[in-house]
Amino acid sequence: MDTVALIAVAVFLFTYALIIDERIHRAVAAMLGAAIVVFIGIVPWDALLEHIDFGTIFLLIGMMIIVNTARGSGLFEYIAIRTAKLAGGSPIRVLILFAIVTAVVSAFLDNVTTVLLLTPMLLYVAKVMELNPIPFLVTEIFASNIGGAATLIGDPPNIMIGSAAGLSFNEFLIHLGPIMVINMVILLGMMYLIYGRSMKVNPEEQKEMVKTLNGLDERAAITDRSLFYKSVTVILFVVLLFFVHDQIGAILHTVLPFVDPAMGLEPAEVALIGAAILLVWSRQPPEEILEKIEWPALFFFGGLFVIVGALVETGVIAGIASVMIENIGSTGEAIFIVTWFAAIASAILDNIPLTAAMIPLIQSMGSTMDVYPLWWALALGACLGGNGTAIGASANVVVIGIAEREGFHISFVEFLKVGMLVLFVTVAVGFGILWLKFVV
Amino acid sequence: MGYSSSLIQRKFKDIVGKRYDSVLKDYSEFLLTDEEMVVPEIRSILVPLDSFVHDIGDEAIDVFSAYDATISLAYITDAGVIDLLKQTLGHESAEEFRAKKEEYGQRLLERTAAKLEERGFSTQTRMFVGHKGDDVARMAKNHDMVALCRSYADGESTGDSVSPIVLRLCQRVQTPALIY
Repeated sequence: MDTVALIAVAVFLFTYALIIDERIHRAVAAMLGAAIVVFIGIVPWDALLEHIDFGTIFLLIGMMIIVNTARGSGLFEYIAIRTAKLAGGSPIRVLILFAIVTAVVSAFLDNVTTVLLLTPMLLYVAKVMELNPIPFLVTEIFASNIGGAATLIGDPPNIMIGSAAGLSFNEFLIHLGPIMVINMVILLGMMYLIYGRSMKVNPEEQKEMVKTLNGLDERAAITDRSLFYKSVTVILFVVLLFFVHDQIGAILHTVLPFVDPAMGLEPAEVALIGAAILLVWSRQPPEEILEKIEWPALFFFGGLFVIVGALVETGVIAGIASVMIENIGSTGEAIFIVTWFAAIASAILDNIPLTAAMIPLIQSMGSTMDVYPLWWALALGACLGGNGTAIGASANVVVIGIAEREGFHISFVEFLKVGMLVLFVTVAVGFGILWLKFVV
Repeated sequence: MGYSSSLIQRKFKDIVGKRYDSVLKDYSEFLLTDEEMVVPEIRSILVPLDSFVHDIGDEAIDVFSAYDATISLAYITDAGVIDLLKQTLGHESAEEFRAKKEEYGQRLLERTAAKLEERGFSTQTRMFVGHKGDDVARMAKNHDMVALCRSYADGESTGDSVSPIVLRLCQRVQTPALIY
């Protein structure tokens, strides 16, 4: 390995260590690493623009605009109160309904916003029920990561994989959707077995809880009724567009003959179109909405792309890929290695930097083998691997951080015990299904 | 604080920033505090009705359902209007007006009571000629809560505005008041 390659590897390892430790803001750490490789010329300007995946960045921007605009209407609080009321004071129903709602919302909107807005309500419901909230919170984390794994837009690793590999929304839904539905059922069963006994309340108490929860008015949560309906309409429209984004030309051609029937929209374009429609229609002040875009997250992604780009430029990724290809005998073996490596490394590292590093590796392997199944293996491992530890995915950190602030300590080891169990069971189920699909 | 706790706090701060504070602020506007969470003893709720109140909305009924209370429906025909009609159009016209109002009131009371009973409430009804402001304030003393429709005693109100009599009643009565 030459000196330049050694420097690229050193910067990569140093930056990832900083990201794990987080003493420096992750965005700053990524920018620092990117600055070093750019400064010493490992990644020149032209290559830098190639390595930054603008498909991911713009998709994130579009969805952030939609979510932040919708948030102002009280939509999420409305969903949270409706869910709490639907549960009818039964702890098991609270656990199941919040898990399902979290999974569904996470599948279409970002996990961090979903758990950030649902967790205070879950804590409140647990307080009303006079129960320990930790089982509910832990289940919410797992549900968020499983739900997010089901779609192209649900979880950052999937956004990155979809953009890099040119995979469609429907492909994600077809290959990962059923796996995640099965995993949700398994998760709920596991949570019931682990925590079910601690969730008993007597009928008298349950009656009181229902009274308190019925006293909540979900309509009072809607701060702007017009914005609420417009947000729901645009979100549904965007989801619908995602379903047909790769066939949009053929659909439009039937009413607008000048549109090329072969035309498709990139997921990022769909998100930005939705964001534009919502901003125009809702008449929300754009300065306020655009200010809420999570710029640190975007710079974090940008920095990671450049740092990993340095490994590509210096041939490190190609080297690792050729070693892997030489040692991997079959597609099944490759699926096995990618799935389990991604799952375990995600749990330790955080699934976003892991995915950023794995994408060019799989792309390099694509020159000599069919890597299509490997994208699903990576998505599966990276998303579900996030369940393994308290720092495996952003949703985990957010929920555990909120719990800590509200006086409920979820220790690293306590989470690890349940998280690793969920990781191994759900990844094994997903791996089994991928194996049946692509190997048998 | 151990390394893992401080690590999670650092990551939380970097991922969430100040967003959690604004979420908490939004929730605090409609979630109950610990003190508010103790459901007050409400055994009877007074619901005044008149010709400007056509129905009790579902959101008000949802709030009633938080209490195990009897609901007293009181239809009041304005004595002032009847006196005015007596002086200007004569006794007969005033009586005709009163009969029409009472016929409407009876139907409204029956319809509303049936709706509430369908939702599991026990109800009481009464109808009389009186002064809407004074009589409701007097009756409210014998109930644990009074629920006032925003258009009660005010034919002029449009949209979401609250009638002046409802606003005055809220200032006068000691009993907790709910405006729906």
